Amino acid sequence: MMTKQVRYEALVKALHGDLYRYAYWLCHEKQVAEDLVQETFLRAWRALDSLKDEKAAKSWLITILRRENARRFERKRFDMSEYEEATITDTLSVTTEQQLENHWLREKISQLPPEYSEPLILQVLGGFSGEDIAAMLDLNKNTVMTRLFRARNQLKEALEAEPVKRGMYNG
Amino acid sequence: MDDLQFRRAIYADPNNQDEETIAAQQQDPSKKQFAQEICQLDEKIKQALQVPVPDDLYNKLILRQTLATHQVQKRKTRVHLALAASVAIVGGLVLNFMQFSSAYSNLGDYALAHVYHEQGSFANNATSQVTLTSLNKKMAAFDGNFNKSLGKLLFADYCRFDGMKSLHLVYQGKTSPVTVFVVPKNEQLRFNADFNDKQLFGSSLQFSNSNIIVVADKNESLGQWQQSISDTVNWSI
Repeated sequence: MMTKQVRYEALVKALHGDLYRYAYWLCHEKQVAEDLVQETFLRAWRALDSLKDEKAAKSWLITILRRENARRFERKRFDMSEYEEATITDTLSVTTEQQLENHWLREKISQLPPEYSEPLILQVLGGFSGEDIAAMLDLNKNTVMTRLFRARNQLKEALEAEPVKRGMYNG
Repeated sequence: MDDLQFRRAIYADPNNQDEETIAAQQQDPSKKQFAQEICQLDEKIKQALQVPVPDDLYNKLILRQTLATHQVQKRKTRVHLALAASVAIVGGLVLNFMQFSSAYSNLGDYALAHVYHEQGSFANNATSQVTLTSLNKKMAAFDGNFNKSLGKLLFADYCRFDGMKSLHLVYQGKTSPVTVFVVPKNEQLRFNADFNDKQLFGSSLQFSNSNIIVVADKNESLGQWQQSISDTVNWSI
């Protein structure tokens, strides 16, 4: 019992950040992401005995989270398409050059179609290999590589098309 | 490795450690530069993806799990308690059933078993005798009385007839004692008018509130016994 608790706490400590970020990029909403992570870890707790290989923990948790996210859509479909996703995070309050750039890039990433952004997030944030991502998303590896290529390509083009001055200008 | 292939490989995975792509970079400085650009882009993407994680998320996760565990344990103890209670009830019922249900399904079988069980206690030529008055006193419990004696009554007392209070009478017979039971009516035991086995045979008479069962050996005339019982017994209402 105690060891299970210890294992669980270690797992949460090590991976809740990554999982939260992943959830955030899946649903683009802080609150929903938090709920998803909570639900995921609760399920993980119940099934913790089935996790034999600690190295596989991250992909295991991500698989649970994706399923949980899909379930959210089964329950009710939020009308998300109407709403402008550009205003997803407020990092503009204290702005340094770096933060502004991040903000701008975030918008671009969230504008990517989900089938492109998801492998990209898994690769960059999760550090998974093409094979791992293919297994997690139930795709073949070539498809994953193509999507990664397109995702980066689109971001790069967006960056190159970027105006020299950006930010908000009033008046 | 041609340029398109190289670009595709780098775009798909900027940290590509493939020998071919590394070799291509070393051969062609423009390719190297391109790879570096994409690496920089990737670094930016990485930066951008690092959205701030809520500070209290870790604590919330632990709290939620602790609460869930607690609830599961509470539910478990409740289930265990319910299980224990069910087992106790079933145990009680089984015990009850075994103790109080009769092993015999009809009057005849039980009467024969009863007679065999007490066979040794009564001798046909015993000297003791019960008077008609004391017999009738006992019969009063069944709202009945005999208006004359049926024969030499050796023994008369209440006894348990499959758990029911009944009157057990033993008369002197031709070769062995004749047993008469006065039994209140009961639904547990099926009524059977005539029954027998190798040694004994018996018959039952049905009255309004009681059955009278006669068991005797094969030398007796049961018909005669039945007749005289019917003639002598009176039931008060």
